[in-house]
Order: sequence, then C-alpha cells, then structure tokens
Amino acid sequence: MEKNILIINTIPNGEIFTKLKELLNGTQNNMDWVDASVFNISHCIGCNYCWLKNPGVCTIKDDYEILLKKMVHSDAMWVISETSFGFLSHPAKNIFDRIMPLVTMYLHFQDGEMRHVMRYQNKLDIGIIYSGEGNQEYLERWCKRTAINFGSQSLGVFSEDSIKEAVSCM
Amino acid sequence: MHVVIINGSPRTKKYSNTDKIIQAFGKGMIQSGATYELYSLSDRKEWEDAREAFYTHTRILIALPLYVECIPGLLLEFLETLHKKEENGTEISFILQSGFAEGCQLRCGEEFLKMLPGQLNCRYGGCLVKGDNFGIRIADDNQLEQILTPYEKMGELYGACGTFEFAEAKKFTGPEKFAFPIRILLAFLFKTVAKKKFIEAAKAWGCTQPLDDRPYAE
Repeated sequence: MEKNILIINTIPNGEIFTKLKELLNGTQNNMDWVDASVFNISHCIGCNYCWLKNPGVCTIKDDYEILLKKMVHSDAMWVISETSFGFLSHPAKNIFDRIMPLVTMYLHFQDGEMRHVMRYQNKLDIGIIYSGEGNQEYLERWCKRTAINFGSQSLGVFSEDSIKEAVSCM
Repeated sequence: MHVVIINGSPRTKKYSNTDKIIQAFGKGMIQSGATYELYSLSDRKEWEDAREAFYTHTRILIALPLYVECIPGLLLEFLETLHKKEENGTEISFILQSGFAEGCQLRCGEEFLKMLPGQLNCRYGGCLVKGDNFGIRIADDNQLEQILTPYEKMGELYGACGTFEFAEAKKFTGPEKFAFPIRILLAFLFKTVAKKKFIEAAKAWGCTQPLDDRPYAE
C-alpha cells in the first residue's frame, strides 16, 4: 500500500519546498504539501490539557490543528526547517513540541524505556530537510530519538544540498 | 556570587514545575550566601530584562523542561534573539528536568545544552539532569517536599562553587535505565495505580472523555 507522506515547510522563502515539489513532480500522488510558514502556530505551553482535559485535542486554537489532523492519517512527515545553533529553528521545533496530542497520558515500557502509549494506530516516520549550518550528527541523533517517542523511525536528516538523497528516502 | 536564572519553561509561572524547582534550588543557593534574579520566559514582557541581564552578568543558569528530546520551542525562540557575548567570561549552567524518569531520556537534550554556550561565546558550566518530575503538577504537599528538597541541597552546593562540576550533581540524575525487575513492577503500576491517578486527575480537571480518545480518527 502506498504511504501517505506529509511535507511541512517552515521556511518563509519557500525555496526548498519549491525545489522538492519540482523534484517529485508527478512521481507520487500520495503527498500532502503544507506551507506552514504562512500559518499562525504558537509554541506549546505545556498545559497538558491534550492529555488530561480534552484528550487528543490541543487547547491552543490556531492553525496547528490542520497539521495535527493530517498527521493522524499520514505514514511519514518531513519537516523543512531553518537552523539555529546547529539545530532546528523555533518554528519547526514548535511543530514537534505541539505533537503531544498524538500520545496519551498512559505509560508503558518499550525497548527498556518509558514511553507514552500512542493515541492512534498509524506510525508517523520522521524526516528533516534543513537550510543553513545544521549540526548533522546532532540532528540525526535528535531525529532518531524523537521518532522512538512516537513508535516510528527516522527517515533521515538532509541538508539543502543533499535534497535528492532525501527524495530517495521518501 | 550573583546568578541570573532564566526559567525556560513555556508553562505559565503559577503552574510551572520548573519554577517550583527553581524556588527550592534558589532557597539552597541563598543558604550558601549566593544571590539570584529570576526571569520567566513564559511571560514575554520579561524577555527584554532577561536579555539585559544575560549581557550584564557572567553567571547564568537556565532551567528548563525537556520538550521532545531538546529545549522547548519558546526557549529556542528567545535564544535566537541573543547575540554572542563579546568577552568569553560568562558561564552558562543548566537545570534540565523531565517527566520520564530515566537519565537516558534526557541525554539528547543535555548534549544540545553542552554545545549551546559556545555558540554564544560563553563557557559551559554543567547541567543538573533529573527526570520523574511530572508529578509536581499533581502532587500533594508531602510529595512535593520529597521531590523538591533534593533540589534545595543541590542549590546549596551550586551556590558555593558556581558550577555543577561536583560529584553529587552527577549522582543526582539517578538510574540511566531501570533494571528489568523494576521495569516489570513499574509497568504493572502504570496499568493500575498510575492509570487510576491519571483518570482521577483528569476528572478533577473537568475531563469527560476517555484519556485514550481518538478525536481525529475518522
């Protein structure tokens, strides 16, 4: 079965997003392209309401809900980000921080570590494409760890210059 | 010794676990003769003063909750507004806390914090790493004291030397991973006592749905 792939752009100039679309033009029809750089997306405020008050729903009413609904029905999510201090910049990190409604408050052990029990059955694999001076080694480590939290896998971390490699991993 | 403490938690101060940790830690610092000033980034009105304090002082302590294996987006946004300090005389230390209990859960975040000060032309002063703090939000007074008193002791030691380069700080994290028998016991508790406690907490917050509800399944 074909995978549903969600591609989220957080860079205002949209260059990588456009380039990626050109590279993938017509090759896949299961891609959902979202330019979140024009969205209004707050940071996570850590209220825990998505676990304990309105399970699965973020209390912040902004454009993030559009992404959340798509994540539930996707098998892979690629986030295009600028970099800060070698890491993602804050708009992309906010997208990951706000992902908490996808997990429940309940806990279990997986591969010897505590994990939240996933809310939905889909496995959302994660890939990153970045511009600027990313710390490749650290970003790869972070992406792998992050994917573990969501019971999924890292699809890899790619700089703007290696975008064709990213396409081959989609 | 005077320390600028920045609370990097996005949660409003009243409900911030990190703030409760800072208050206990600060109490210990004062006992050792140190002083501190505190800025909370959850209130954007404090950002300008926090930046000014960062540029003016040489001993900075950033306390933060782990958010998805690294620092919260809000703290990252604040840090993006800073420019490098001109002189390399500033030391930045960190208190990194999380909900998950095992030390291994915080290491990826800690790694980022080790690299961060250098990018602001500052030195790294170490990181006090500890998980198992989710309960602060729903703890009673006795439980709260049990969780926070060790932070007071750490504050006293930090206040005396200004870094986390002491043996007690290393041990403070606790186990990197739980041994198999402990995991079996905890897994049982997760399905029974903890589950019940979460459901009770949710009811107290006015929750009317099951905690594993799937609002966007269809």
